[in-house]
Amino acid sequence: MDLGFLAQFFVNGLVLGVIYALVAVGFTLFFGVLDVIKFSHGDVLMLGAFTALATYLGLSDIGVAPGVALILVFVAGIAGMAFVGAIVCKFLVLPLRGAPQLNTLLITLMFGTVIRESVRLFYPSGSNPKPFPKLLPDNAFEFGNLTLRLDSCIIVLLGILAIIFTQLFIQKTKFGLAIRAVAQDEETARLMGVNFKTVVLLTFALGSALAAVGGISTGLYYQEINFAMGLMLGLIGFSSAVLGGLGSLYGAIAGGFLFAALQTVGAVWFAVPAYKDVFAFAVVIMLMAWRPTGLLAERNEERV
Amino acid sequence: MANFVKGHFLITILATIAGLFVYFFLHLERSWEIVLVVGLAVLTMVVSRRKNLIARAQETCLQKPKFSISVFFVAAVAIIFALRSEHFALLMLTTVLLYITVCFGLTAQFGFVGLVNFAGIAFFGIGAYTTAVLYQYAAIPDFLIILASGLVAAVIGSILILPILRTKGHYAALITIAFGVLFRTFLEVNDTLGGPQGLKVDGISVFGLSFNENINLGLLGTGSSYVTYSILALVLCLVTFVFVRRMENSWVGLNMDMVRHDEIAAASFGIHPPSWKILAFTLGNFFAGLAGSIYASMSGFIAPASFNFADSLVLVSIVLLGGLGNVFSVIPAAFLVVVLPEKLQLIQEYRLLIFGIVVILILRFKPSGIMPRGARRYYPSLGVKK
Amino acid sequence: MSLLSVDRLTVSFGGLRALDEFSFSLSEGDFVGLIGPNGSGKTTFFNALTGIYKPQFGSVSVDGNDVTKASPQAMYEVGVTRTFQRLRLVPSLSVFDNLIVGSQRGLNTNLWWNIFKRAGLRKKVDEELSRCSDLLSQFNPRLVGTLLSPVSTLSMIDRRRIEVCRALISQPRILLLDEPSAGMTHEETRMLMEDLLTWKERSPSLAIVLIEHEMGVIDRVTNRCVVLNYGKKIAEGEYQIVSQDPLVKTAYLGEE
Repeated sequence: MDLGFLAQFFVNGLVLGVIYALVAVGFTLFFGVLDVIKFSHGDVLMLGAFTALATYLGLSDIGVAPGVALILVFVAGIAGMAFVGAIVCKFLVLPLRGAPQLNTLLITLMFGTVIRESVRLFYPSGSNPKPFPKLLPDNAFEFGNLTLRLDSCIIVLLGILAIIFTQLFIQKTKFGLAIRAVAQDEETARLMGVNFKTVVLLTFALGSALAAVGGISTGLYYQEINFAMGLMLGLIGFSSAVLGGLGSLYGAIAGGFLFAALQTVGAVWFAVPAYKDVFAFAVVIMLMAWRPTGLLAERNEERV
Repeated sequence: MANFVKGHFLITILATIAGLFVYFFLHLERSWEIVLVVGLAVLTMVVSRRKNLIARAQETCLQKPKFSISVFFVAAVAIIFALRSEHFALLMLTTVLLYITVCFGLTAQFGFVGLVNFAGIAFFGIGAYTTAVLYQYAAIPDFLIILASGLVAAVIGSILILPILRTKGHYAALITIAFGVLFRTFLEVNDTLGGPQGLKVDGISVFGLSFNENINLGLLGTGSSYVTYSILALVLCLVTFVFVRRMENSWVGLNMDMVRHDEIAAASFGIHPPSWKILAFTLGNFFAGLAGSIYASMSGFIAPASFNFADSLVLVSIVLLGGLGNVFSVIPAAFLVVVLPEKLQLIQEYRLLIFGIVVILILRFKPSGIMPRGARRYYPSLGVKK
Repeated sequence: MSLLSVDRLTVSFGGLRALDEFSFSLSEGDFVGLIGPNGSGKTTFFNALTGIYKPQFGSVSVDGNDVTKASPQAMYEVGVTRTFQRLRLVPSLSVFDNLIVGSQRGLNTNLWWNIFKRAGLRKKVDEELSRCSDLLSQFNPRLVGTLLSPVSTLSMIDRRRIEVCRALISQPRILLLDEPSAGMTHEETRMLMEDLLTWKERSPSLAIVLIEHEMGVIDRVTNRCVVLNYGKKIAEGEYQIVSQDPLVKTAYLGEE
């Protein structure tokens, strides 16, 4: 295998890694503020992609220029999913705070199923894969065996920008400070005058908006979306966040790239590329046995 | 003496009513008839709940467990007998019984020690595939094949034990989810196991009597080939039921409950939480494997498409819907969840959507389920005023 | 030889030494009060002693046998039981279930036996039921009637009693009580302490360590007390003497 091929795998892995990181950051944000897993995250991503697609179809009907459409598609997806994220939080996650933690996982898992089934049943012929419009320039540069597509580069750049934006938002703004305060210690944050509920809702909106970016990027990259894509992407995002250590932002990003790397290694290693997911998940399970709270997170002792 | 007779009489009546409902539920085909039966059943439940009859009936049955089980067993056999020539109804009944068996195992895992297993259908599938492979390559008695299928499911499950023991809550849930997805993908790409096309499975035969052929019932005419399978599934279901119930009503159940509620307090009183988690997890997977084995023989053919993550969700829904930890509640919940969509074509397409919404409502408004779990009863007359 | 001896036990979390070279010994029949401001390491000491936290340094021995790194289960086996500051009963389980857990050592938890020897189980359950009744009646006879009801139906003081009974039912040699008066009135605390003293008269060899914030209680029931501050032992002796110690006074006043 020559260098060009390896570089190709690397570039493809990079695109996937960015998308996974976007999803994983959402998981880690939710876990940070509320110690919960919102498993509908992957399906929110899928819904974001479908919202974007529907928006695009609507816009192209009235003849909006592709450049403008691209921006509006993102705006619609992001705004829509931010709203959905806040709704899930308000009606499904917050009311279950007193109940066992697993109930939140279950209820959001079921909500994810509801989203998935709704898209399958109610989106026009929703059970079939849908072509996603080529909104990015698809120029390609050839370097021997390596084909570098411009759209891939843009997706990677976009994803990294979104993550940097999130990071800056959390580190530099007053709201970000409130999020960190709640993540550290809810009680104290409340006492210091942080509006707990608003912060939590905003965090869910933020995380879900990132999922929308991930969903649209997936659509732009594969030029196809389907109703079931969220389950796998959600699972991968969850695994990535867990690999890095739930609650850690850098952990989630690292986890996303690590998972993409595992898939890539799996694809190169086995003659049958389909084994890549089997390999990646098997490694995730093993890593969890080795480092139960993730690779980067601190160990936290239970209080007695 | 009069009271004694009254109790037995009541149980018999109860079993008869339940049996009739199940019979008509399985036998009738038109949508409006099904809606009528289910409506009637719900109405009966609501009315008896108002009059506190359900609690009293449950109490009566709990006080005479052996008699109740025998009567309900007879009722079940009678249903099978009445449906003897209806292939589809028996197929469904058998499937429900096997799902119930899996859910008993999941109850031990999730309801007792608190390990949620999102790979229930994977262990069922492991049992099914083991059976298919064993029939192909090994000449061993059918009984041993079923047993081996359960064991293989338990052994493969033990790979997950280390990561599950080392992690908690969400992390442990992720492991089973990942395993469920991994299993399905593995089946799809593995050519020796037939890939997406799946495998053909030989049927069980005992003393030259093949389970997969129609049987001659003498004067009663010809019985469906599913009669034998439904009886087999019924026996498996019953044995599992008695086992799990006895486990619940013993020191083992007590320790498992302690592990679920408070591992630190449990450890401080000498309980070793990992042991109980391993026991419940292994047993649950074993039951799932046994059920999967019978399912494979009955279907004669298995493919990855029957073992989706969504099916694992359906299993978890059944366990939650009835009332987490309540072994009895699994039975009506499984009938509703498995049979209703098959019967009502209208629902069929929307079934996952409907389950999703129902489970969300349950978790949100009645997390203990429709029939919440009762107190532990170490022996039938415990706490009964003489 | 003392029943329990703790030598320079140290537990730290990150950079914080929650327990700092703490030495302590306990003989049969002792009733020792463990006092100190919040966060001074009292509960940490209990957690280290019962094997929930692993100490970084120092040693613990019971009857001269080293149990420094022993598991919680092993500590229970050697006869150390405890109550928790925040009650750790299971509210949805019955009083009997909660109590009998404390008697783990005497229960046969073999799966085969539990599934197939139902007559034996029944006999054992009846025995344990009457043992629990006896125990409860020493604390509050009214509780005997609630043996099969869920703990969630009981009042705070009754739950405390049950937690104490759970720790006593296995007839431990060392009982660790972590602020049993938390959330109770003075009168309720007094009643609980009276019952404890009565119990102690009947089993004189039992050694008790009591974490308590109410100094009146410490003064009345203990025969010795140990004061902790920032994880270090700052004083030990009879309460009347210790309470006059300037170091102790500063520790408490500094806290106010």
